[in-house]
Amino acid sequence: MNRKIIHCDCDCFFAAIEIRDDPALEGLPVAVGGDPGKRGVIATCNYEARKYGVHSAMASASARRLCPDLIIIPPSKNKYGEASRQMHSIFKDYTSLVEPLSLDEAFLDVSNSKKCKGSATLIAAEIRQRVREEMQITLSAGIAPNKFLAKVASDWNKPDGQFVITPDKVSDFIASLNVRKIYGVGKVTATKMYNLGIENCQDLQVYSQAELLNLFGSFGERLYSLCRGIDDRPVVTEHPRKSISVELTYNNDLPSLKHCIAELPVLLDKLEQRIHRSNRQVSIGKLFVKLKFTDFISTTVEQVNQELNLHVFEQLCQTGYERRNKPVRLLGLGIRLREALNFYQLPLDFDDHVATSKVYLT
Amino acid sequence: MQFEISRETLIKPLQLVTGVVERRQTLPVLSNVLLVLEGSQLSMTGTDLEVELIGRVQIENGSQSGEVTVPARKLMDICKSLPDSASLKMELEDNKLVIRSGRSRFTLSTLPPSDFPSAEESSEALEFSISQERLKEMLDSTSFAMAQQDVRYYLNGLLFEVSPNFLRVVATDGHRLAMDTEDMSTTAEQTMQVIVPRKGILELARLLGEGEDDVDIVIGANHVRAKTANFTFTSKLVDGKFPDYDRVLPKGGDKKIVADRNELRQSLSRTAILSNEKFRGIRLTLLDDEIKILANNPEQEEAEEIVAVEYKGDSLEIGFNVSYLVDVLTVLDTDTVQIVVSDPNSSALIQGADGSSALYVVMPMRL
Repeated sequence: MNRKIIHCDCDCFFAAIEIRDDPALEGLPVAVGGDPGKRGVIATCNYEARKYGVHSAMASASARRLCPDLIIIPPSKNKYGEASRQMHSIFKDYTSLVEPLSLDEAFLDVSNSKKCKGSATLIAAEIRQRVREEMQITLSAGIAPNKFLAKVASDWNKPDGQFVITPDKVSDFIASLNVRKIYGVGKVTATKMYNLGIENCQDLQVYSQAELLNLFGSFGERLYSLCRGIDDRPVVTEHPRKSISVELTYNNDLPSLKHCIAELPVLLDKLEQRIHRSNRQVSIGKLFVKLKFTDFISTTVEQVNQELNLHVFEQLCQTGYERRNKPVRLLGLGIRLREALNFYQLPLDFDDHVATSKVYLT
Repeated sequence: MQFEISRETLIKPLQLVTGVVERRQTLPVLSNVLLVLEGSQLSMTGTDLEVELIGRVQIENGSQSGEVTVPARKLMDICKSLPDSASLKMELEDNKLVIRSGRSRFTLSTLPPSDFPSAEESSEALEFSISQERLKEMLDSTSFAMAQQDVRYYLNGLLFEVSPNFLRVVATDGHRLAMDTEDMSTTAEQTMQVIVPRKGILELARLLGEGEDDVDIVIGANHVRAKTANFTFTSKLVDGKFPDYDRVLPKGGDKKIVADRNELRQSLSRTAILSNEKFRGIRLTLLDDEIKILANNPEQEEAEEIVAVEYKGDSLEIGFNVSYLVDVLTVLDTDTVQIVVSDPNSSALIQGADGSSALYVVMPMRL
């Protein structure tokens, strides 16, 4: 049976919410992101800003150079989280199979939904209308028989639009689809494909599975399906979480190991809070420390440990620091979760004089 | 320097001394053994800067005093590969050590003895004597519980606690703890604690003999030294504070099980085969006069054993890392063991049932 998948994607979500809450910003180039003077980056920007070449993940300082009038608003995460919850509750009115990808993006499997006479196209239209009316922001939607095509489709009539790929149109649609639209095909793979004369999915379909494996490694197998518009991945409502971490980019590089070590207690505190907030049974498998040096090279050091322990983090930080011995711009602490949650070796309860070695088990 | 020695006399102390020498050395002289001949006494020293061992043997034939260092492993391999009855004639010629035995001749390179680092004598020392056999027993019954390469470096060793009237050793890796105590009077005015690193403990245990002969222990500010007629062993101490072990000794567990040690150990070892290979968890269920042991693995395979024990009380289900239990039941040497537990989240206390001096604490596993 053909599935009906909707990919919902808000149009410049953070910026849209800021503009909604301050109508004076309407029509001006607006971005949400970090302070340009403090190495901030752009999280989202509206279409006015995009005209200047501003895009997300760009350094705020570069964005300001491209668009001197750019209004950069510091992110207010609580507000976005609230909007996201509101949007998800709308989704939930249509199906329980919602797979959130981020705050403003989700897959919905409406194959068995009875709403709107079972029409996915009408469901998408109704969701978009409700989001517009109830939240005063716009959402684009893609409707297709699978996740891959739905995601491509949501981008087709963006912003504030929707696009349907019905099962009988899949082969026509996919044939002319540019390979860059396949996720997983980035700059490097695309260049490789262009050099082989492959531009769209039709060109890819000529290759056998074995040839694709040879050319693109393990990704070849997936490419073979995707270029035929085939994607069997189900909509999963919850991804098993593999790690929990916190990180911080410093306004000024931390010049020495001593300075890095001094920052760890604050980060550990944040990590503890985040673990508590995750509201789940946490069984720690490993602790890790991430360092990004002044030359933007990152390194991660980890160790098997079942408890949060400042001393371990200090050791890991030292190991990582000594790999480059350079000033550090970013520090992160995290835990990798253990897969088998049902085994946990309890520790002897020494009054540990070294550090907090609290155990989180609820 | 010139002397003759039988292979039989040389090989045992040389083997022990070479054991201390690390294979990979940054400092070339550290892969050497220092040979010192004074009158009729030959002493051999190996060191890795953390642990130093001096072995001593008596030389019978025509000796000429002197000292030299030669590659430890090569000397050892030569000695080992000669026939059992061989005799070795060693002579220092032009900064080479020439070894002759029967129709064999070996010429070994040397490094000056002055380059060889030696452990300094500690000031402010505390001394006591204990039989070699008893000390070895104490080490063997506890050292398995030491941590290995734990970042809590003070766990990678064995605690020696010397009080005016007892010597106690304690090892823990944070999940289980082993402790043994010997009542004796010492010259300690108050209780003192030192941590001997893991490597030092393992080497020391190898050295100690079976006999009643005493070993003299000297504890200084930075070193511990063990001295017998045949060897002097010195180890650096771990600079750190051992956790408060008394805090984790369970007090007031109300569920006491007495079991045949060997039977329980064998049942556990069998069940372990089908426990999760990584976590080694097993489930114990206490019933009237029996324990049920249950293990299963991710492949859904299952092992179940029922062991008759002495137990009267409430039923209880408690999980353990089976290896921790087997380790304890292996080092104990009594016929019966006593296990005291209270609830699934609190530690178990395991002891030999006839009041043996060693005791073990094992934390459960949540399954």
